[in-house]
Amino acid sequence: MPPKKISAKKTSSPAQSPVAAATPPAPPAPALPPAFTNPDIVDAYKALYDILGRAYWDASDLNAKDTIQGARDHIYEILTDLNRARLEANTALFLALKSKIDDNNKALDDIKEKINSITKNISTASSVIAAIAKVLSIAPVLL
Amino acid sequence: MRNRKLLPSLLCVCLLWLAGCSLSPLARNTAAFSSAASLVVENTQNAYRAAVRLNEKAQASLLVARFDTPQPMDPHSIRPLIDEKGLKARSDVLDGLRTYAQTIADLSSGVSSPKLDEAAAACGSNLKSLGDALAASTPIGINVTSTEANAASTALKALGDFLVSRQVKSSVPRVIRDMDPNIDALSQLLSNDLEILRDQAGRDYEQLLAQQDGFIRHAGTSLSAGERRAEIERLPRILANKKATDDMLADLQSSIQKLAVTHHALAVAATSKDSASLQARIADLRASAEGLATFYESLSASSK
Repeated sequence: MPPKKISAKKTSSPAQSPVAAATPPAPPAPALPPAFTNPDIVDAYKALYDILGRAYWDASDLNAKDTIQGARDHIYEILTDLNRARLEANTALFLALKSKIDDNNKALDDIKEKINSITKNISTASSVIAAIAKVLSIAPVLL
Repeated sequence: MRNRKLLPSLLCVCLLWLAGCSLSPLARNTAAFSSAASLVVENTQNAYRAAVRLNEKAQASLLVARFDTPQPMDPHSIRPLIDEKGLKARSDVLDGLRTYAQTIADLSSGVSSPKLDEAAAACGSNLKSLGDALAASTPIGINVTSTEANAASTALKALGDFLVSRQVKSSVPRVIRDMDPNIDALSQLLSNDLEILRDQAGRDYEQLLAQQDGFIRHAGTSLSAGERRAEIERLPRILANKKATDDMLADLQSSIQKLAVTHHALAVAATSKDSASLQARIADLRASAEGLATFYESLSASSK
């Protein structure tokens, strides 16, 4: 049991500061906490979460399980905040991409418009013929 | 007189051949791509919703676990994995992709032809009226028969189709080529998102599993034997859902990569006559997307 408690202690202290750093007061697109731009640190936290998970299932005492899971919960929150920040960073990229896709769809609308004008030209020719026919039909009456 | 009747018919045949032959491969390929892309878009939107819901459940489970501890969790601290703005940005981009795929398919298949048919028919009918008016008011003796008016309508329709086809052939492939890097960028971005969702979903399920285990153990004898059994039986189901969700997200990642490769082949095929490899890619993409759609249904049914 003691080694598991040591693991829990180790995680509870680093868990506090990165959580605070990962949740700044509602900026529009928060950057990742500097420490978490290092993939080694992130991988280390993920590995620790998994190790604590194995320790949880190995532990037979309920108090030990609670202590281990308590530490694991903190790491879970840190990693969730990190993923949330990553997804938020991707949102900015999606917004940038949206304008490019809109431009492309606008080009397709222009093609649609050109195609409509072909139909419109044929309709105009039809209207002209109808108008001439109408004039001719009333011409004998006028002459 | 015989030549006068043959001429419109020959013109029609010639124009119909010009319009029809050149259009069909592009129309067929874009329609198949649009149908497959629409499935991928739907699956991706479902995946985002499912991942956000799962994370909410995991956070709620943490709230319950900490409720009676000295440091209970503030329910206000529960935040969505992807906020409304983020979900809307993703949904808009995916809708844009669906619109793009549908529009290139519509343009290539000449979806505006009913209007063209109407205009061409009206032109033939007005031409007959003009002939009648000319015959009545002048000594020229022009008489446009119904057959000739119909032939004129058909010729105009064929001419319209030809002009539309020429417009489509000259501009749609260029738009598809221009869109190709955007599809590539979108595919990478979605793939990156899905990597994050897979990572998060794995831990969300692990949290649900541990909180469920803790709940059973803390409840002890306050649960009846039947209730206890039912709660314990939920543990392997959580693990099965974890695996199924990860498999589904991995398959979706693969579908999205296939979408980019297929679009690239479409861009190449739009300017070339060899589309055999494209057909195979589209079939592969469609099969992959359809498999996922069925999977979603089974997953949502099993989670109830």
